[in-house]
Amino acid sequence: MRIGIVCPYSWDIPGGVSAHVNDLAQALIRMGHYVSVLAPAEFDELLPDFVVSTGKPRAVKYNGSTARLSFGPLVARKVSKWIEEGDFDVLHVHEPLSPSLSVLACWAANGPIVATWHSAMDRSRMMLTLSKLGQTAMEKVSARIAVSEAARATLIKHVGGDAVVIPNGVDVSMFTNATPMFGWRGPNLSIAFLGRGDEPRKGLEILVDAYPQIRKSFPNVRLLIAGPGEPADTLKKLSKVDRASVTVLGMIAPQDKPSVLASGTIYVAPNTGGESFGIVLLEAMASGTPVVASDLEAFEQVLDFGRAGITFENENSDDLARVVCELLRDEAKRTELIRQGRLRAAQFDWNVVANEIVNVYESVRVPGVKVEPDLTGQFMGRLARGRITPEPRGEL
Amino acid sequence: MSSQGIFILVFVAFCIWYLSNQAGRLDRLHHRIDVAELALHGQLLRRGGIVAELAAVPGIDPALSALWGQAAHEVLILAEVASPARTQVEDELSEILVLTLGDQDEVNEIRSIALAASLLDELAQVSTRIQMSHQFHTDAVRDCLEIREQFLVRFCHLAGFAKPPVRFALADEFPEFLFN
Repeated sequence: MRIGIVCPYSWDIPGGVSAHVNDLAQALIRMGHYVSVLAPAEFDELLPDFVVSTGKPRAVKYNGSTARLSFGPLVARKVSKWIEEGDFDVLHVHEPLSPSLSVLACWAANGPIVATWHSAMDRSRMMLTLSKLGQTAMEKVSARIAVSEAARATLIKHVGGDAVVIPNGVDVSMFTNATPMFGWRGPNLSIAFLGRGDEPRKGLEILVDAYPQIRKSFPNVRLLIAGPGEPADTLKKLSKVDRASVTVLGMIAPQDKPSVLASGTIYVAPNTGGESFGIVLLEAMASGTPVVASDLEAFEQVLDFGRAGITFENENSDDLARVVCELLRDEAKRTELIRQGRLRAAQFDWNVVANEIVNVYESVRVPGVKVEPDLTGQFMGRLARGRITPEPRGEL
Repeated sequence: MSSQGIFILVFVAFCIWYLSNQAGRLDRLHHRIDVAELALHGQLLRRGGIVAELAAVPGIDPALSALWGQAAHEVLILAEVASPARTQVEDELSEILVLTLGDQDEVNEIRSIALAASLLDELAQVSTRIQMSHQFHTDAVRDCLEIREQFLVRFCHLAGFAKPPVRFALADEFPEFLFN
């Protein structure tokens, strides 16, 4: 099958959606499909050969964080050209309501289109304006996928209609044999955190508030913080002794992620909201690290409602401290969580997930019907458009 | 030109733009329904083919073979025709599959026959795809009817001569033991 995938967010900056698209594309290529990914990217020479760039993206504030998006007439031309040259059987757009490449691709194409929703949002106003704008694009989408029940609920509430839930995938093989960094996870207990240190939604502040309490019960415990963004402001709150037990790694390379995750006796995800899935939880579980996370609905689902990980009350650092201390005390419980976590992560392996996505492609695709450029955007296009002639429709 | 004239001109222009926009939406939706219908059609045909093959596997219980063969035959001879009869034979096939493959032991026994195992896997896969195709078709029909039922759209006859789309009332029942 020839598959065209559109990633609306910049390829240069690691993020949930672009990571998803990258892994999906690679899984599909392993399965023997032809894949081309269209994404904004600044540095052409660093791209994998299945990615086509639309040029440098612009920074836009969206859903509480800064997103880098591509939009505008020049980009629209590139999108049309990509669709025309790609000769795709299926077009797969991601996060189609952001004013982005995905919407442009929907406008520019005709034929089997699949869309994946990633985010779960409370901020409905932005969504509403955009859904009017994107309505014309949405009406062309033949199949919708949501990455979680939370994302599906957002979709139903703001756009209407339904979606198939197919979770995010994890490349389990990359994490199974993760070894901790040198000097970590020996006899000394440690807590690992991964995420932007300067973004409130990632909840580092909650963890830092809880940390002194944890240190009171376990004076030898250490804290490992990895991810882009400077957490210095948040860490100012800690006493000198406590601060000395914190290691800040900064941004880490993707290939180092498994060993960073494996370096914690416990992995803590104190995110306060805006999460629709929680891929990093699965990665921690696949690395063999027990997970403690805030009780967001998306996290509860990933943790299989307590079977594969423990949750604490969202934004409550006292509760976080209590849960972490209990788990640090109970080694048997940790061993059990590691075992369950690995089993749970295997259910989300990319090979399993990509298969489900191919099922969706197959359920909308018709042999002989290709994704074609849609010319209605151009003045004469409406008259010039060729169309498929299916069998006469009777009463089915 | 008087300001009244300009106002009327703008108003008329807006009406034309609005109606042409709605007609464009309808056109896109009809197109989407056509593709969805073809896709569903293809998956249903594939299921008929797989069941017919399964019926012909040597070593299958002759009673099962006869049941499957007959049901698949009904589907495949009607395959070209989109009609209420189609829904009926597809539902009958689903029902027979649920009945005959409704037991884990039974499925395991059929799985032990050399050629049948891979066909059962394919059947499980195509069943999932039929379910999804059906849902996507229903979604498209609902989106389309929503617009077709608007007063202005009916009044201006924007749907043209396109027949109103019809939901494919399939009973989405499939033997769950196939999926293990």
